[in-house]
Amino acid sequence: MSAERLRVAGAAVAATTDRGGRIAAVAIAFGWHFAVNVPGIAGGWGEYRVPWAAAAGWVLFVVVGVLATARLFYGFAVPVFPLLGVLLIVDVLVIAITPDDQIFNTLNWAWGTIGWFALLLLYDRGVGALVAVLVANAVFGLVGVVAASTEASGAADLSRFVMYIYGTGVLPIALVAAMGVLRETALSTAASEAARAALESERLGAAHAQQERQDRLGIVSEAAGALLHDLATGRADPADLDVQRACALAAAQLRRLIAESDDVPDPLLHELRACVDVAERQGVPVDLIAVGELPELDVAIRRRLAEPLAATLATARDWARVTVVAQPDEVVVSLTTPATAGPAKESHSWPMDGVVDYWYERDEELVWTQTRWRAA
Amino acid sequence: MDADTVASGMIYGSGGARTTVAIVDDHPVVLEGVRSWLAADPRLEVVATGDNVDAVLAAGPTDVILLDLRLHGRMAIDKVSELSAAGQRVVVYSEHHEPSTILAVLDAGAVAFLAKHEGRDHCVETVLAAAADRPYVPPSLAGAMVGDRRSSRPALSDKEREALLLWFQSMSKASVAKRMQISEHTVKQYVDRARIKYARAGRPAATKSALLARAIEDGLIRPEEIVTYRSYASTDRPLP
Repeated sequence: MSAERLRVAGAAVAATTDRGGRIAAVAIAFGWHFAVNVPGIAGGWGEYRVPWAAAAGWVLFVVVGVLATARLFYGFAVPVFPLLGVLLIVDVLVIAITPDDQIFNTLNWAWGTIGWFALLLLYDRGVGALVAVLVANAVFGLVGVVAASTEASGAADLSRFVMYIYGTGVLPIALVAAMGVLRETALSTAASEAARAALESERLGAAHAQQERQDRLGIVSEAAGALLHDLATGRADPADLDVQRACALAAAQLRRLIAESDDVPDPLLHELRACVDVAERQGVPVDLIAVGELPELDVAIRRRLAEPLAATLATARDWARVTVVAQPDEVVVSLTTPATAGPAKESHSWPMDGVVDYWYERDEELVWTQTRWRAA
Repeated sequence: MDADTVASGMIYGSGGARTTVAIVDDHPVVLEGVRSWLAADPRLEVVATGDNVDAVLAAGPTDVILLDLRLHGRMAIDKVSELSAAGQRVVVYSEHHEPSTILAVLDAGAVAFLAKHEGRDHCVETVLAAAADRPYVPPSLAGAMVGDRRSSRPALSDKEREALLLWFQSMSKASVAKRMQISEHTVKQYVDRARIKYARAGRPAATKSALLARAIEDGLIRPEEIVTYRSYASTDRPLP
């Protein structure tokens, strides 16, 4: 399994884990906005300098919150920073219309709520931007407090101000930080679990390939052994063409088993071996030689690489040679076999979708087919 | 499966003393078979055979040693290094033709590598070429070179790489020539030049220097092309 696939698997698990955090953030923001701010605004309606502005601000917060929620859960593209601007403007507005003596009460609702709504907008953007909004909020608040406080209450107001800022700022930041840690943990846990599963399936694949090879070795050895026995006892004549053919076939099969060095069969080699097996069953000795490490290829590309060769291999009568040369950005598969009946000269060449090029050539001696994939 | 008979007929058959060969293999049947292949060629003389390198060499000097890579269950790559460093031309032949093994054998300084199943013609031509310090690239060796992904690999030109690839695939220089629309001679040049580049890479050995010297003499490469690679990524221009 590739690193890329492991990463994707990890991300999927992390996204599921993260959903809980997003639901919590939305619930806290709207819960606070309805349960605390509505009574606050209603209770102090008569005291605001401009009451309808407080209500309008409250509605704007709801609009921003809904847009942010749509982005969080459905990926809606919303202008995050302009919306943060709206929140900050409402924040300043509410501070401005709140009577001086009510600055630390629920009438001045936006001050304590902005952190949660900013969190909705900045949920996946790290803690930095959120801190910046909270700092701006603190500065506006400080200006408001300084403007509103009287000489007698100055020191006490500043102390309350710090408490207030601390209380409203710490919680959103803590939630963001906690979700970040949770996301990281989920990601690495999922990735290591996927890696473990990949390793296990690789082990099973290798065991399977090993067993398959043992079985084939058993069959080939038996045939080769019988042949050698017949040759040794004189029952088979080395000059006999059929005996020579049987020897060539057994030798090719043994050679192919020796050459199979891949622990886990690559799908392309697997497909090619299946074609070669068919030809061998018809008595055609085939050499299959693979060089290099095959990159991961789509099924469609593998099919385009293997199929034209399979068709030609089916017509092979004497011997055949299949080679695979692999590099990270190029895979070339070729088949050569002696030309039998058919037109003396023939040559086709066409690019298949520009991804896998194919050519076929025959002359008096040789039929030669090549397919070649190049990374785009 | 044609070997390069054109060149061999012209270059090696020019009379003179016969090339002496020693064969080292631990399977008597194989030893006897290969001996009969080589002995049948009038240009070659098999002077010693055996299952032990030192014992065979003790019989006297020989132009080329044909060495089975796996002797008594052990890969003899260190032996190849030792002999090549001392200037003994070694042709390694083996049923182990994984690219990594072949490249290790070249690095060790072997003049050529031959897969056991590659047959008589390749065997004779490889030994003859080795005796003349000329490159000979049987298809298995071409496959290993074309699939080489090591960072230390020499930089081959596109034409050299394509010639190697097609030669590995078809085992017919005539077919490669037709495919690339060049002469067979040029195909052989591309393939041989690629092989010579391997003589410039890796540890130095007396046999590698001999290959290089002969390649310059034959005009296969120019002396100024023999430089230590500063960057393996640099592309190498083919001869015009």
